[in-house]
Order: sequence, then C-alpha cells, then structure tokens
Amino acid sequence: MEIKHSGRISQLFIYTGKLFRMFVLQNDWKMLPMAAIIAAIVSYVVGSTLFVNMAGTLMGTFGLTSICVWNGCFNSIQAICRERPIVKREHRSGLHMTSYIGAHMIYQAFICLCQTGIIIVVLHISNVSFPSLSHVTGSVDADLFITMFLISYASDMISLFVSAIVRNTTTAMTVMPFVMIFQLIFSGGIFALSGFAHTLTDFAVSRWGLCAMCAISDYNSLPNEMILATIDNIDVSKLSSDYSETDISGGAGITVADAAEILQEGMRDPELREKFIYTCGEMAYVEDYRSDGDNIINCWLNIGTAIVIFPILSVAALEFIDKDKR
Amino acid sequence: MDSLQIIFTVIRLVIGVVCIVGTWMIFSKFGKKGWYAIIPLVCEYKLGECCGKERDGFFMALFSVAFNIVSSAVAFFPENSDEELILSLVSLIMFVPYAVFTIRVYMGLCEAFGKRRLWVILWLLDSTKWICAIYFGINKKIQPKESYLHLNDHASEELSGINVTGNGRDLSVNIRKRSVNNFFSKVTLLRDLHLTIPTGHMVLLLGGSGAGKTTFLNAVTGYEKADADVELGKWNVYRDYNKMKYDVGFVPQQDLMRGSDTVYRTISDAASLRLPKNMKYAEKKARVDEVLEIFGLSALRGNLVSKLSGGQRKRLSIALEYISFPTLFILDEPDSGLDGVVARNLFLKLREIADTGKIVIVITHTPGRVMDLFDDIIVLAKDHARTGRLAFYGPVDEAFGFFGCTTAEEILLAINQKEEGGEGRAEEFVNKFDALLQTAGGEA
Repeated sequence: MEIKHSGRISQLFIYTGKLFRMFVLQNDWKMLPMAAIIAAIVSYVVGSTLFVNMAGTLMGTFGLTSICVWNGCFNSIQAICRERPIVKREHRSGLHMTSYIGAHMIYQAFICLCQTGIIIVVLHISNVSFPSLSHVTGSVDADLFITMFLISYASDMISLFVSAIVRNTTTAMTVMPFVMIFQLIFSGGIFALSGFAHTLTDFAVSRWGLCAMCAISDYNSLPNEMILATIDNIDVSKLSSDYSETDISGGAGITVADAAEILQEGMRDPELREKFIYTCGEMAYVEDYRSDGDNIINCWLNIGTAIVIFPILSVAALEFIDKDKR
Repeated sequence: MDSLQIIFTVIRLVIGVVCIVGTWMIFSKFGKKGWYAIIPLVCEYKLGECCGKERDGFFMALFSVAFNIVSSAVAFFPENSDEELILSLVSLIMFVPYAVFTIRVYMGLCEAFGKRRLWVILWLLDSTKWICAIYFGINKKIQPKESYLHLNDHASEELSGINVTGNGRDLSVNIRKRSVNNFFSKVTLLRDLHLTIPTGHMVLLLGGSGAGKTTFLNAVTGYEKADADVELGKWNVYRDYNKMKYDVGFVPQQDLMRGSDTVYRTISDAASLRLPKNMKYAEKKARVDEVLEIFGLSALRGNLVSKLSGGQRKRLSIALEYISFPTLFILDEPDSGLDGVVARNLFLKLREIADTGKIVIVITHTPGRVMDLFDDIIVLAKDHARTGRLAFYGPVDEAFGFFGCTTAEEILLAINQKEEGGEGRAEEFVNKFDALLQTAGGEA
C-alpha cells in the first residue's frame, strides 16, 4: 500500500504558520511602522491639497500610489530568494510549490492589509479632507482602502515573482529599482506619455491604481487652480517693458500687458474666480479618471489580473528549483 | 585609390591573415581543429573552450553577433532619427558585455599558456592582435599547460558493462554515465561506478575536490538523474522516486534551515512534511521528541536556530532528515567546522544509526579521527579526462592495502592531481580497480 504524505492544504497551513512565526521572531513586523512613517511624510507634503484640487489630487494620489508600490515591493522582494537553498532542500523532501507560494500570498496579504490600514489612519490623523461620495462600497475609506490594498498586493506579487526567479538577494535588490521605476514612470500621472509608451501604461499596476484613486476622489469635478494661480502671479510691469511694442488686438492698441492687467482685474471677483476654476477643471477632464463605479471596478479588476498572474508564474518558476546549480 | 591606400589595405590584409593563422595554430596546440579559426562565431566559442571558459566563449560569440548586427543597422537610418538613437544605445549596451566576455576569454587564454594577463591588452586591440597571434600561435616554444590539453577530452571510452545486484535489501548502484550538456559539448562527470552497499554499513566517501562526490550522491539519491540503475531494497530509486524520496535522507553540506524559527518548530514542520499523513498527531509528536533526544537537542527545543552553535546546528540539520527514519542516510561533510570531539561524537551517533540496519554514507575531508567507525570506503578519483571514476570500494583495511597507504589522507594524496599537490596516480588506481572488478565479475 502506498504511503501518503502531507498534501497541498496541510502544507499550506504549515508554511503559513512558519511565515507568521517569522513575522514575530524575525524583523518582518518592522515593515508596519515603516509604512506609517512613509505615509506621514507623504501626507505632510501633499496632504493639504489632496482631494481638494486637481493638481494636489494628482500629486497626492501619485504619492499614495508610490507608497503602495514601495511597500509592496519591499515586503516580498527577498522573501523567496533569501531562503532559496532551503526551499530547494524542502522541495526535494516533498514540498509543493503551490502551497509555498499560497502561504506567501496569505502572509503578504496580511502585511499589505495592515500597511494599507495604517496609511488610511495616518491620512485621517493628518487631517486630509477625504471625498464625501463613495462610488462603489458606500464608504470612501473602504474604496480607498481596497484600491491601496490592491496596488500594494499586486506590487507585492510582482516582487514575489522577481524573488522566485532570481538566485540571491543581491540580484533581487538590483532588479527591484527597475520594477519600481517602471511602475512610477508608467503610472501616467506625472509624465505625459504617448504612443507606445502610453500602451505600456496598461501593464503598470500603478496606472490602474492611480486611475481608481482619482476616480474615487472625483478628480474631474475638482477645481483646477493652476491657471488662476498663473494669472495671479503675472508681473504686469515686466510684461509692459518686455512686450511694449506688441499689439495683440489688430490695431486697437491693446498690448500683452494690457490684456494681462484686464484679466487680473476681472479675476478679483470671488464669484468669478470660483466659477473660473471649476470651468478650467471641466476643461481638464480626463476620461481615465471618470468617477463612476464601473470605472473603479474595472481598474480593480485590471490590478487583480497581476495578483492572479504573478503567483502562477512564481509557482512555475519555482518548479524548476531543482535545476539550480550547487 | 592612391598608392598609400593600397599599402594600408595590403597591410590590413596581411595582419588579418596572420591573425587567422595564429588562431589556427592556437587551436592546433589545444588539439582542436584549426579551421575553427576561419568561422567567425565558432572561433570565439572554441577559444573559450580551449581555456575552459566555454560559457564566456559562448556569450562572447553571442554578443559579438548582436553588437555587429545592431551597429551595422545604424547606417540604414537617417542621422539624428529616433531609430538611429535607439540602435546606437542598444549597440552600446551590447558592446559592454561583449567587451567583458572577450576580456574573460583572453584572460583564460593567458592563464592556459601560463602568461601574464597584461597580454589581454594587446589581444583586445585590432592593431596589436597579430602580435599575440604570432606569439601564442605561431611561436612553437609557447605551449599550453598540460592540464588544459585534456579539458574537453570527454572521451567516448567504452563502458565496462558491469552490473552489480544486491540481495534484495542492499543498496545497489550501477551508474554507467552521468553527463551534463555544457552549451555545445557534453561533459561526462561520472563513469562506470558499480557497487553494492549492505544494510547496516557505514561507508566513507573519499575523493579530492571535483572528483564527483556530491554528483555521485545526487545520482544515487535520484536528485540528479544519471544513466544508471539504483536500487534500494525492492525499490528502483529513479522509477519509484516519488515513493522513495521519504526513505532517503540527504544532509547537505550547508545547514539549510530558517534561523528565525525555533528548534522544535523546525523539526515538527519537517515531521509534518516527511512523515506519513495517516500517522497520529501523538505519534508524530513522540517521534519529534525522540529525535530531539537522540541528537541532544531536547534542552534547546525553544531556542532560535540562529542562536545555535555550529555543532548544534549540524545536529539539527541531521535530525531534520532523520525524522523520517530513512533507510539510506547520506551526509555531505557533516563535520565541517566542528572540532575533533564534537565531530567524533557526531560520527558515533551516525554509527549508532547504521547499527539499526540503515545505510549511512558520509563525505568527510578529515576521516582520520573517525576511520575506525566506518565499515567500507568508496574512493572516487578524476581520470585523465577529468571524469569521476571509482578508484576503490571495499572494506577499510583492504583499501589501505590496495593503495599501499596507512591513512585515508595518504590515499587522498595518492589520487589527487599533481597541480593539487597530490601524486597524480588516480588513473593508475582507477585502472587497477577496474581490472579487479572485471576479474571478479563486478564483485570487488
């Protein structure tokens, strides 16, 4: 009679337990206070304008996305490669890679949940004014929590995959900046991308995360204060000297400086200012940031794709661990 | 074309021919076909092969092609175009590894000829390469070191055809060949190893560096399959690997355990993985406690693995494999880093395990202090083609008689290569033992 040994489910429990023990006995718990510190720094820098106007919201959500990508990447980048010889030994003793990666997924989900919770709490403590209307769950906190968790977790799974394919921690730490830079550049929030580069943003978790966060924050309904701020800061006397000969009215004698002065004068009216910034906001409409439940859920599903694909790839990569050279 | 241009063209042609002739003769000196020198990609790869740097030679050839293709493609696009910019960038990226691998190959060649690495500079420059071609290739006084001449002599010697069988409980090993593909060539790591180890025996596996000890053990345990038949009792290790793997304990050289886990948890997790699923929890727990007791770890059960001493870690590493009570127990240098007393105690423990009817095979580089504990000895040695061969297998006292030595260290000295400080008599003993086996029909 064939003797049966522990299957995938029981191994999943064994390894999940092992990872949670490490959380306490090793120094993995340090990732949580680190998340709080990073969130505090970002909310200190962009918190006052986050969810208030377009520019501040874009910068702020980009900052939050960056925190999530950063946390996710650092959580798991060394998780497998640092114990690769041990995993190889255990694989020879009957370890199923699906259980091993499954255990990591559970453990990393726990870490990401904690980190995301910490970020939300820090944002509240920093008096960031949250949007009032939820588009999916009925709670803006929950919408933001889910989005940030998904970004962190997807980044975590990408890093876990990197950790599964590289042989040592040095290589992992060399590869990681490339993963992060790709995520940040191709988020589409800060750099204007077009053509092939824009197509690449479809493969960046950060792009979908940023879209979801902007959609949650009602980005397209926020005021755009950039143009008004520029008008307020125009130095009319400098324009008078630099463009004294420039007639922009086709012979009526109105110069650039005159036009700027008229604009500045007109914009002193508070009602007009208010109306103007919202009109500018409407003109800066971005379809990707459309605030409705469908768009947000679509973004979540796109991030979810990475969460499904990368663990599968990690398992496939680790199945070949026996081929590692001694 | 003016006369000056013609002269330059002729000079370049002559230099090119000198380089090819020189490389042709370099190949001849290494016992390879000279015409490799006129086939661009093959030439680079074979140069690497000559000096034992096949991998570097392969990548040198690969990046050479990539670099040349990309840099030639630049000419097809308008100046300052995006395409030109991208291709220039890619060719620069290709050039860096090409240069690095080229340097590595030429450094290897300098090493193979026993010359200073400064020669690499001349070799790298197109204008001075011909000097190297003349010096290393055409100059007959410059010859490669002896050890490089047989690097790729993975000879197709005939196999002995010996096949040993056990008595139904023993470990019988018939490794005909263990080869690996190294890019375009096949390297034979082990050849013709036939032996039967009875249960209850503790066997010392002896051999110099690179003789194939770990490769042999990996082939025996089925971790790295060879062209072989390995039978443990009624099981064929290769065919029944999935059933067998729990009956084979392999303790690696390094202590591969998580330092942040406790001793007890490390063993109990190993027990959960390796012990049968239907074993009751209480039985598993009792087994864990028993193993902790056997290896003197009971008092340390709550300690973190990272806090253990070298000897304690080694005992824990052995306990992890012993938990499933394997029939075949293999240990790769279990005494490395341990002092004499601790090492002796560890081997006494292994002797006790063997006495329970298990087969214990141990690699150690300091066998002198524990020689009396072994029943048999396996001696592996590299033959002229650097293939691991069986130089002896049998009882310890017979081994001393066979090699004309009184200690295991003297055996090692006799079989080690001359450049390793040994006597370089491996081939002699391999042939002697081969003849002995042939005479005895496989039973030494």
